[in-house]
Amino acid sequence: MALPTVTQSLPDADRRWRDIYRYLDRPGPFMAEGFEAGAAVKEFLHSIKILVVGAGGLGCELLKDLALTGFTDIHVIDMDTIDVSNLNRQFLFRASDVGKAKAEVAASFIMRRIPGVKITPYFGKIQDKDEEYYNQFTIIICGLDSVEARRWMNATIINMYDEDDPETLKPIIDGGTEGFKGQSRIILPHMTACYECSLDMQTKPTTYPMCTIANTPRLPEHCIEWASVLEWPREFPDKKLDGDDPEHIKWLLDRASTRARHYDITGVTYSLTQGVVKNIIPAIASTNAIVAASCATEAFKIATNCATPMNNYMMYVGDQGVYTYTFELQKKEDCPVCGAVAIKIQVSPSATLQDLIDLLLDRKDIQLKKPSLRTSATSLYMQAPRALQEATRPNLSKCLSELIRDGEEVTVTDESLPISIQITVRFE
Amino acid sequence: MSTDQLWSSYGIPMAKLLWKAQNVELEGIGSLMVVDGCLVEESDLGQNFFVTPASVGQSRAKVVSELLLELNAEVEGSHVQRDPAEIIENSPEFFQHFSLVIATQITGPSLYKLADICWAANIPLVIVRAHGLMGYSRIIVREHTVVESHPEQIVDLRFDSPFAALREFAESFNLDELDSMAHSHVPYIVILLKAVDSWKRKHDGKLPSSTADREQFKQSIRDQQRSDMPGNQNFNEALASAYRAWTPTTIPSSIRSILNNTCAQNITSETPDFWIIARAVCDFVQNEGQGFLPLPGTVPDMHADTESYIRLQTIYRAKAREDAAAVSERVANLLASIGSSPSRIPVQEIEMFCKNAGYLHVIRYRSLTEEYATETARSKTIGNSLAGDPQDNIAWYVMLRAVEVCKTQFQRYPGESESHYVSDQQTVRKCVDAFMQEHGLDPALIADDYVQECVRAAGSEIHVIAAILGGIVSQEVIKLLTHQYVPLNNTVIFDGIKSAASVYEL
Repeated sequence: MALPTVTQSLPDADRRWRDIYRYLDRPGPFMAEGFEAGAAVKEFLHSIKILVVGAGGLGCELLKDLALTGFTDIHVIDMDTIDVSNLNRQFLFRASDVGKAKAEVAASFIMRRIPGVKITPYFGKIQDKDEEYYNQFTIIICGLDSVEARRWMNATIINMYDEDDPETLKPIIDGGTEGFKGQSRIILPHMTACYECSLDMQTKPTTYPMCTIANTPRLPEHCIEWASVLEWPREFPDKKLDGDDPEHIKWLLDRASTRARHYDITGVTYSLTQGVVKNIIPAIASTNAIVAASCATEAFKIATNCATPMNNYMMYVGDQGVYTYTFELQKKEDCPVCGAVAIKIQVSPSATLQDLIDLLLDRKDIQLKKPSLRTSATSLYMQAPRALQEATRPNLSKCLSELIRDGEEVTVTDESLPISIQITVRFE
Repeated sequence: MSTDQLWSSYGIPMAKLLWKAQNVELEGIGSLMVVDGCLVEESDLGQNFFVTPASVGQSRAKVVSELLLELNAEVEGSHVQRDPAEIIENSPEFFQHFSLVIATQITGPSLYKLADICWAANIPLVIVRAHGLMGYSRIIVREHTVVESHPEQIVDLRFDSPFAALREFAESFNLDELDSMAHSHVPYIVILLKAVDSWKRKHDGKLPSSTADREQFKQSIRDQQRSDMPGNQNFNEALASAYRAWTPTTIPSSIRSILNNTCAQNITSETPDFWIIARAVCDFVQNEGQGFLPLPGTVPDMHADTESYIRLQTIYRAKAREDAAAVSERVANLLASIGSSPSRIPVQEIEMFCKNAGYLHVIRYRSLTEEYATETARSKTIGNSLAGDPQDNIAWYVMLRAVEVCKTQFQRYPGESESHYVSDQQTVRKCVDAFMQEHGLDPALIADDYVQECVRAAGSEIHVIAAILGGIVSQEVIKLLTHQYVPLNNTVIFDGIKSAASVYEL
């Protein structure tokens, strides 16, 4: 990819950054501890490395916001390519960019527009990178749309913390939006609540990426979205879809069922069709703008100490008036990522291992998919490798009292998580 | 045009628009004009995404509008290279052509005059300002009506007063005769309708009202469950919604006051569609509606077999259509009485109104004159907020008012000049004290910290704060233009230090 040519003469920094320097040249009553006005803080702001995770709706805004806040060494990581459906709000992408890597196109657009800023893109998964990579950044900002990716980032950054090395403490600023709702928050590893501490605040995701809907449906919901978002307007360009009209829903149901059969997907029903149609939450450009700018504001304050950062979670709702709620989210003592104690689980001694696994799968605060369980002495049930799975499968129907002692600690791992969870099993 | 299309086509330019353009107007949907008299300076490069180093020295209105439009080819755009203050002073008629005006970073006499022009011409005005880590926006519209406010859910199921078709449907179920499978799929609406009906028969037609009554009512539902399958989902849903069954169907007072508003009661050929339909609904309620609003016709999702669920949906929907048809006929008669064509208001508009009749909003914004004149100012709102919490965001409002006075007096923001840094703090403090005294409030309610921070900021426009305000304002502008969702009333203050927004009616 051709890099833009660097302009020979950059605009004069004092004139260009006049408005930001007002804050950096002068102390004030709301500055954070450690703030020292003057050249050093400006130099620090202009030289630190900051990572943006995700180059979608929030990521595009974040890159622009950070570049216009004086950050000049920005990295961005995203595994997606540009889809036609991204063009309406991911404003760094044009029709000619469809199919190209989001991180690369976003980086080169910003560098063309704002001289003197260096954006280093990485087109790939966050899991491709190791601690050495993440360790180079002073601040990490996440603009992600998946719970899994957030959990992975959160656990990885928090596990990197070494109390003997203050450099390993990486603040994470996390933004998220859904329709008119959004939130931004600051995670200071081991000091504030982390993403995992608040996992039970997550509601089930109700939006689906357009590319999935158009090309790779997996769930019945994807087929319904395809019928309502793509087929309906094509078939009835002048008729508004009414989620309360049984005839409309029936039409969608027929289309979605045909598509589902084609892809061997089961589960498209009348009530699911209606549920999906009535819950469509489009990503809204202005909510992305607000949440991304809030995250960038916090990055600016954390990088410079020119004002105290928020403490530590802001919720935003914009459909009925404008509403924010800013509060201190509390750490969870038994958080599997940043907590000090194991999660306590009460079960009947006659319950089977399968019962215990079902109980774990039900818990919204840990959200497991395919858990494997072992004690310090033995494997109770392992999902992989296959031989071990077969060997441990008979345990599923055994009573827990045959397998573990009352109060014994069990380690739970899950392929979707970079961490293991400690639980203490108590018999009722 | 649906909101979705609006968001996707026009959301972006409007969000970005406010990042810096000094004055932006939108004409209708899909075209916008940037008005700005300045040339691009180097300081713009550090805060505005719509300028480049190559544009330094060129018209800022031209450069910004060109780069803005590059985002979306479907938006028509233009620019005027004139100082907004000069246009406000010399060509007030300029603003008549716009559906909405956004005034960014305009303060003092120019702002007051612009607000007067827009108020007189009935053009919505949105004021937006960024001052360091603080942001402010104010909406001014004489009257804003909303039919589609998009509440979380629309629920009107008429448990206490089922219409004939609904009653017959409920009666067609005999719970005792159903097999276990069918019994566990009876929609909870039917279970509740039957329970209410049997309760009323035993209690002189009254609904359960005391706590004991209600517990007994719930017990009567539990008693219907089969002992072999306790805790069936449909019965759980019925118990969870039991309160809807004993809550009488009424018209909320806010909706009553809209229906009885003089705008609805005195119809002329000038009356907007909203008020004509409101009048028709009002008449409907008093006649064939028998005291109820038109039925919305929506049925929440519930555990049921597909056939009964679809039949329920069809029954509620048919009644909703019938009610909307009655309202439509009243609308047609009203239109005829004022000499308007019956086609003036499309049927879909009337149906939409009927569906949302329980969730209408009418906002009459206060004018800027009312806010600024001491005798009509909301001094109590300011005083009470500060008394409750000295760090309430309203403190920034007082600061912005004081800064505005200084800016008008000295033609620069306090703090802009290093040599006046200390004296500017004193000047701003005096302006704060004067403002507070004028409004009968104790000046000590505003701590010196606020004064110092405002002088430190010196009117700086930090990009990220402008972007937060730009995002909020573009969301509000789209609500105002589409009459969907509920816009804020009337002032929002964002504190970028605490990261919190507050809304006040000032």
